Amino acid sequence: MTEVILRDVAKKYGQLSVVHGVSLTIPDGEFVVLVGPSGCGKSTTLRMIAGLESISSGTISIGGKIVNDLPPKDRDIAMVFQNYALYQQMTVYDNLAFGLRNRKVPEDEIRKEVARATQMLGLEPLLTRKPFQLSGGQQQRVAFGRCIVRHPQVFLFDEPLSNLDAKLRAQMRLEIKSLRERVPTTSVYVTHDQVEAMTLGDRVVVMKDGWIQQVGTPLEIYNQPANRFVASFIGSPAMNFIDVDLVEEQGRLRAKARDFSIRISDQTAALLRNCKATSVTLGVRPESIHLGSPPADIDTAFTGDVAVTEQLGAELVVGVNAAGATIMASRIAPDTPIAVHENVSMWMNPKSLHFFDAKTEAALR
Amino acid sequence: MLLLIAPAAVVLVCFQIIPILVGMNASFRDWSLVNPLKTWVGLSQYVAVFTDPVFLKIVLPNTFILMVSSVSVSLVLGLGLASLLNKSFFGRPLVRTVILLPLTIAPVITATMIRWSFNDQFGVITTFLAYLGLPEVAWLSDRWPSFTLVILTDIWIWAPWFTIILLAALQGLPPEQFEAAKIDAATPWRTFIHVTLPMLRPVITVCVLIRSIDAFRTFDQVYILTGGGPARSTEVFSVYVYVQAFVNLDFGRGAAAAGAGAIIMLLVGVGLYRLVNRTMVRSR
Amino acid sequence: MIGMLAAAFRRGVFSIGILAIFVLFVGPVAILVLTSVRPASGAYYIWRGTAFTLHNFVDVMQQSQVVKAMFNSFVLSSLATIFSLGITVGSGYMLSRFSGWIQRSWFATIYIFRTVPYISWVLPLYLVNTRLGIYDTYIGLLLPHIAVHVCFFSWLMKGFFDGINPSMEHAALIDGCTRWGAFYRVALPSAMPGIAALAILCWLSTWNEFLFALILTGQRTPMITSTMAQFVTETGTEWNLMSATAVIAMLPALLVTIFGQKYVIRGLRM
Repeated sequence: MTEVILRDVAKKYGQLSVVHGVSLTIPDGEFVVLVGPSGCGKSTTLRMIAGLESISSGTISIGGKIVNDLPPKDRDIAMVFQNYALYQQMTVYDNLAFGLRNRKVPEDEIRKEVARATQMLGLEPLLTRKPFQLSGGQQQRVAFGRCIVRHPQVFLFDEPLSNLDAKLRAQMRLEIKSLRERVPTTSVYVTHDQVEAMTLGDRVVVMKDGWIQQVGTPLEIYNQPANRFVASFIGSPAMNFIDVDLVEEQGRLRAKARDFSIRISDQTAALLRNCKATSVTLGVRPESIHLGSPPADIDTAFTGDVAVTEQLGAELVVGVNAAGATIMASRIAPDTPIAVHENVSMWMNPKSLHFFDAKTEAALR
Repeated sequence: MLLLIAPAAVVLVCFQIIPILVGMNASFRDWSLVNPLKTWVGLSQYVAVFTDPVFLKIVLPNTFILMVSSVSVSLVLGLGLASLLNKSFFGRPLVRTVILLPLTIAPVITATMIRWSFNDQFGVITTFLAYLGLPEVAWLSDRWPSFTLVILTDIWIWAPWFTIILLAALQGLPPEQFEAAKIDAATPWRTFIHVTLPMLRPVITVCVLIRSIDAFRTFDQVYILTGGGPARSTEVFSVYVYVQAFVNLDFGRGAAAAGAGAIIMLLVGVGLYRLVNRTMVRSR
Repeated sequence: MIGMLAAAFRRGVFSIGILAIFVLFVGPVAILVLTSVRPASGAYYIWRGTAFTLHNFVDVMQQSQVVKAMFNSFVLSSLATIFSLGITVGSGYMLSRFSGWIQRSWFATIYIFRTVPYISWVLPLYLVNTRLGIYDTYIGLLLPHIAVHVCFFSWLMKGFFDGINPSMEHAALIDGCTRWGAFYRVALPSAMPGIAALAILCWLSTWNEFLFALILTGQRTPMITSTMAQFVTETGTEWNLMSATAVIAMLPALLVTIFGQKYVIRGLRM
């Protein structure tokens, strides 16, 4: 049973605080992804778990043992680095065997372990090569192999795919997925790529400026973002944000901006009335905005001039000037005839509206 | 962490810093073979050095003339050679090998070669110049011809150094700017001035800094070629110190001169370092 | 037609330029080598006659002082290389990987002491060595030769390690190495190409060094450069013998230029 528990873990460089009290419990076998923009403290957090950075305050425990003062070699972890960090002067075989040799594992056992890992990763033909003779994808596979042979308690991944090109990245993403089916191990994965976060994580931890913004399953993060930052960071194209005033009209709550007025469903309205907010930010994902007129019982229509269109082949993305912003709508049939400057009418799915406090940016719910 | 620098630090302290302190002590004394008492004489050795007309009117100017002319000419030649070697042509590997010779051969040997080649009776070059009908120059018996030889020798040794480093820098430059210049129809010369040079500036400044500091302590070539002569007219700083201490056997005076030189160099070094830092910031 | 002529002319000028460079750098060496295979009388008339002899070399090799000097220079260069690299590799690694006031002040120290002219500390070192009784001995020359490299080599070594991504050492730490093991087993082997280049340059520069040899040694422990200098400045007339000695002293340089070119260039680029 390997549980990784972070309790109020903080990192300071002199006066500069880069991680502020992160608390997180990762149960055995879970694959957790730390995601956020660069400088959000995700890599520092990972390196503190690895023991490559000292911990300024708080505790980290791995498998029930507090590891704060343990050197990396005694933490029983394995790590994949962004630049692979293969030992340049050793062959692939020696790279894989290095960690085992350090632990005085007998050579024939090493051979067995390396064979198992190379077979799993398809590295057999490369065993005698040196790292500089390998492509980026192959190097990364060796880096994975180096982790697998060791049977560590925890896998740590530090942006392992960000040095690869887009196509290879998609392929390696699938490989990581199938790898973790075969080698289920508690894992912490750091990335700035929201697609990796959504596709790989059992749970996703969104970080910004050294603070945890939200922890949840990919769907929770996507559907119930805790604040405006999470909402804008996850999802592509990004969520639309419109500053609106909440106005009571004939017992109904409406969100209003310039030339824009939509009705808020009663259920949401009750919530918002509870919060006593009047000036809020309305968030709508592009795929929740549709072209044309809404069904009769839905009152979320608005009109605007088309500012931009993006033809993606499978769908059309349209940007419309309305409510003082450019509102993006996706999932529009690609053959829809739409010209720039044309005035179009659109509507929003009333069930997919998000409201955020204009000041604190926290979700209202 | 301290363990890592300890051996280096111990050697540095024992065999560089302590000698410097000993030297400072010696520079305040009348320390010569005829005065075994080593009387404390305060600053008078320094006064003697700085009022010595040989030091002021010959040694210091010579040292700085050598420094400036050798560094600047080597830099220009090095730039030219590096640009040349950056192109491919028949025999390039051979030329690249040949220019390494000055860097690997001992300066003492180089100076010997030059001295022999310019020997006023049997020297190959003197004979060749006479054969061409040029007026005879007593290369090693007049101040300026012999000092010119010293400078030329120094350039012969150091121009290849600039070449190798600048060539590496040239080969490391991103090709995009040159392609853009080509598309903008820039002549090779304008490309060199407006594209190549600005990109090379950080490397050039570091090279000039290192070379200037090293040029100040030039000793071997001068000692072998002219020995500081004729009549001390080609002495540079290091030779002056050597002569004071080991020819005139006046260690106090020599140590004072050495100390004075170290202080001058420290000031020049700090000044150059500032300059380099400034240009680095600007070119960033 | 005119265009073709102009191109041919340009190519001609270019070829002459290349030839000139070639002559400029090979010429002096060639003159020296030619003189060394001339009989004594012929040395003065380098154009006239083609007499060839190896007698100069035989003559030189029979002088015990020259042989001794070569042996001394060889041993001293090798020892100085081993020790200089040995003590600066740690210092460079520390400069590259650690930070803090110790690192900063050490860096400042080596920068400042690099600017000190050699003569300013070798002169008093003569006094120190005579006082310690190590004047004109191996150890009295070896230690300064190590000290002279401390500053510059620490700086170069820092450069080598700066060029090695530290995540490789982090991987080693996680793979079960201690901090020392990560340095010794991962960082050091990666820095080896640079260190090898530096070793060659260090060996050559010690072999070629003159000022220390002149001041810190005498008749008991002659070095090849100071022995040569004696030829030049004291006898000054036996050019054939002098050239033969110079050619022998030049051999390592020639060998390195021809066979170790790659390392010299790599070493100089740092």
